[in-house]
Amino acid sequence: MAALRTSSAPVTLPAKRDRSGPHPGTVRAHRYRWVIPWLFLAPALAFFAVFKFWPSIWGVYLSLFHVQPYLGDEWVGFANFSKAFSDPDLRAAVGHTVLDAAVAVAGSMFVGFLLALLLEAPARHVRILRTAVFLPAVTAMVAVAELWHALLFPGRYGAVNSLLGDFGVGPLPFLSSPNSSLATIMLVQIWKHAPYDMVIFIAGLVGIDRQLYESASIDGANAWQRLRAVTLPSLRPVTTIVLILGLIRGLRVFTEIYVLTNGGPGGSTESIVTTVYKTTVTNNDAGYASAISSLLLVATIILTSATLWWRHRRENA
Amino acid sequence: MARSAARHRVVAALAAAICLTTGLTACSSGTGGGGTATADASGPLKVWARAAGDSPKAFQAIFDAFTKKTGIKIETFFTLTDFEAKLSAAATAHDLPDVVFNDAAQLGNFKTQGIIRPVDKSKVAGADQLTPASWESAKDVQGNVYAVPFSAQANLLFVRSDWLTKLNLAPPKTWDDVAAVAKAFTTQDPDGNGKNDTYGLAVPGSTTRGYISWYWSTFFWQAGGEYFNGSNGKFSATVNTPEALKATQWFKSLFCDQKVVQPSSLNDTTTETNKAFQTGVTGMYYTGPYAFATMDATPIKGKYTVLAPPAGPANAKTLAEGTNIYLMAGNRPNAARQFAEFAITPEAQKLGMTAVPSATIVRLPVNSTVDAAASHNSDPRWTLAQQVYKDQGHYEPVSMPNWAQLRQTTSDALNGLIAKCGDPQAALTSLNDKLGSLLKQQGVAAG
Repeated sequence: MAALRTSSAPVTLPAKRDRSGPHPGTVRAHRYRWVIPWLFLAPALAFFAVFKFWPSIWGVYLSLFHVQPYLGDEWVGFANFSKAFSDPDLRAAVGHTVLDAAVAVAGSMFVGFLLALLLEAPARHVRILRTAVFLPAVTAMVAVAELWHALLFPGRYGAVNSLLGDFGVGPLPFLSSPNSSLATIMLVQIWKHAPYDMVIFIAGLVGIDRQLYESASIDGANAWQRLRAVTLPSLRPVTTIVLILGLIRGLRVFTEIYVLTNGGPGGSTESIVTTVYKTTVTNNDAGYASAISSLLLVATIILTSATLWWRHRRENA
Repeated sequence: MARSAARHRVVAALAAAICLTTGLTACSSGTGGGGTATADASGPLKVWARAAGDSPKAFQAIFDAFTKKTGIKIETFFTLTDFEAKLSAAATAHDLPDVVFNDAAQLGNFKTQGIIRPVDKSKVAGADQLTPASWESAKDVQGNVYAVPFSAQANLLFVRSDWLTKLNLAPPKTWDDVAAVAKAFTTQDPDGNGKNDTYGLAVPGSTTRGYISWYWSTFFWQAGGEYFNGSNGKFSATVNTPEALKATQWFKSLFCDQKVVQPSSLNDTTTETNKAFQTGVTGMYYTGPYAFATMDATPIKGKYTVLAPPAGPANAKTLAEGTNIYLMAGNRPNAARQFAEFAITPEAQKLGMTAVPSATIVRLPVNSTVDAAASHNSDPRWTLAQQVYKDQGHYEPVSMPNWAQLRQTTSDALNGLIAKCGDPQAALTSLNDKLGSLLKQQGVAAG
């Protein structure tokens, strides 16, 4: 960059070209230049349209029918929706899902934030550590769930129970008791998703101006006060993102539950999406399943919008 | 500027329309035309089977033999986990395959969906060679035949013979024996490693695919119970009888009082339960003859013995299952029928048993002229398996319009009962009500 500077005279740019009127030969190119971004977007848009938007719209449409693939669908209007509102099993599943989402999201945000604080540093050994800690987030949930299923064997000589036994803690039932199954699933989810939240929090932490910390220390703030007064407020937009992502992820929890417990024991870990899955595959009632899915979509949109609106108000308060 | 903004909107709308039409064309029905009831459409016979791993090779052996014999080419499709979903998609597109190999338990379901054709036994060559029991698994609630049986099996009791020897126990012959042996296996350290890490009975107690009720059915019938009572397409649920209570109390006590079942049972499918038996975590297991090959491939080969399931208070019935050949509502009914006729011949049944040793797609032959043991190096376990199927085999009520849904409800109830170690009578009464309302939904309720 230094090579460009000439000796003493300031560099003068040529006079700006006047682009207000039409220029011969460039009118057509100028008028259609805005098409170019749309052309770049078109393949992705087409992909999303075919595989995401259209199936979602079709699913909402199917919820108004008694779906029979070969014999033809029968119109039932809102019967599927009224069935959804009066189904006690679905209500229990909603309760489990909301509880699981709340605890797993809060837990993974908390643990993710702690990990981010610990591992936000440019040193190479910290980078290696960060990659290692991030590994659970990129493993396939099905494989992870199978491994945890084996590790959490509830007998005295299961892998985790042996470890606990060495500390004198009795064999815990983990997934095989309805009292601890949901809590165990929440722990597995926190283990898997906290590193993902950590990475987002690290990105947020890196973006905080170091001078704020310096001026806070000069004013006499200790580490805890710096955290409360500088770090947390600066992370508000990041926290909002992590919260919204977590909510969406939490409400549609499926793989962990399907592989670890299939909704059992005794229906204690049934979630909304496992109910939808069973309704479609076992009960052959794709119309009712679509109704539940549509309601889930509406709930997710409402919650996400509410979170964004609340954050918007807090920012501008 | 306003003009280009308006043009922006027009093109955005066009782009959305293009996306929509792309989606619509992606959704439109596939090809399906041609063929009447008497004349087949042209093209190869489309055969689907729910299989993975080595099983497709065994199917291919039968298909190749059929093509060699008749000249009819076969176009195959195999998948395991999402078979019903793919079949549903084909049904929606009115582009069904011509022949499907699937569990007998799917018969009522397929018939309710309208995707299978009734079978005229008199027009199927070789139909009289098949065992009567296998034809029962191919009928609907009215007694009309809707499939051609292909393979059958019944559960046997696998016991660790080395553990029996070490603890000086005789092979169990009654329910009390089973409970006593299970207790001994759990408390007396039969593998001699000084740790209390063994259990008596391996049970797949998960609700996945209805495993727990699938397993419990044997004891339910052995106590004299039956799922449904009725005839001519009208049934009532009968799972709250004293016989059902006796079976359920005994089953529950294994988990809750005696604690002789592997502790992870309530979340275990047959995959985990197989492992529990193969790795010496449990000492007894009710499973089918298809397990001989898989068990023999593990370190317990030669260390287990296979018995006929011990009798319960009323009888010695044991769970029987089968694979059927479904003739789908496709466009090549004559070729499909010819294929079914070939698949039940001794040649095809033997191929199914022996073509691929690790994948016996025919477990017990449905053709009564074929001897299973003869095709398995005169292994006496296969003779026992064939005899148990003949004498003790009892199918689930697969002819119900949606047996999978009824089985799932039963599994949920049993899994819930054992998870909380609750009251069996209350659980059975509530289950009976639920089954009754499902029968009504399925249109086969009496009264």
